[in-house]
Amino acid sequence: MTELYKTSKGTTFQCDVTDRICLQFGDISASFKIKDFFIFRRTVKTINIHEMIFNLSDDYDFEWIESPKSGIAQKLTLCEIVQLRDLLDGTKFSLELNSVLHETLGTLVIR
Amino acid sequence: MKDLVRLRTSLKEEIEIILNAQCKMEAEASNKYLAMASWLERNGYKQSSDYLYGQAEEERTHFLKIFKYINDVGGTAITPVIGEVTQEYSDLKSVFETALQSEIAVSLSINKIVAKCREVSDFATEEFIMWFVKEQREEEENARRALELFEVIDVNSSAGKFLLDKEIAKIGGKE
Repeated sequence: MTELYKTSKGTTFQCDVTDRICLQFGDISASFKIKDFFIFRRTVKTINIHEMIFNLSDDYDFEWIESPKSGIAQKLTLCEIVQLRDLLDGTKFSLELNSVLHETLGTLVIR
Repeated sequence: MKDLVRLRTSLKEEIEIILNAQCKMEAEASNKYLAMASWLERNGYKQSSDYLYGQAEEERTHFLKIFKYINDVGGTAITPVIGEVTQEYSDLKSVFETALQSEIAVSLSINKIVAKCREVSDFATEEFIMWFVKEQREEEENARRALELFEVIDVNSSAGKFLLDKEIAKIGGKE
């Protein structure tokens, strides 16, 4: 397992045996196929943060985050969503950086 | 460390985003043509409405072609949410003016995809999208031909309207 990104609230890893991305964030512990990871990130990114901030209704204090294939169904607060976004964005950056290195240096160089 | 991103797809994120946006645009264009066809049918222009029903189908085919391509190369095709489209038109000519504007907008968008593909060296997608470049040239030509007919046929006479309806239906080889 290779660590991809770490924040004070969670960590992500890449498993080269299963080709999956593992996520540890608060109570959430899940692993994703790479495609599902990007879909999950998109789901989290599309949450309307501004509405959660400015709408005073109790309904906007939390947001349900779901990823059925990874068994995630969690109610997150605004702060948790921002922290999760941070972790997922950092992970995406690491994945893409690795991809750029592979493309630039060739697969034989990267271990 | 394996390159999981490249193993999953050859599609770069920015290309996936603009292709999904193009899917939405093609689906919207299909809905616009459908609304135009419906207006023509309601107003007695039976033959040209059939032509635009055909155009609506064609735009949907374009949408599906891009949609499938995204998935074929390992990306994630997102079903687009389509908003309201104009249902009412003032006259026959305004329908085809709107059609031409819509085709021009689609052509510009396709050109931007080609430019982006070249920028990120995605030659596979460029090759795929070139089919649409050719297709848009034909679509614009057909839309212009429809408006050209208004210059040579007097739309203000009853016979003129009848003739226009008939001639528009012939555009693109359709009778």
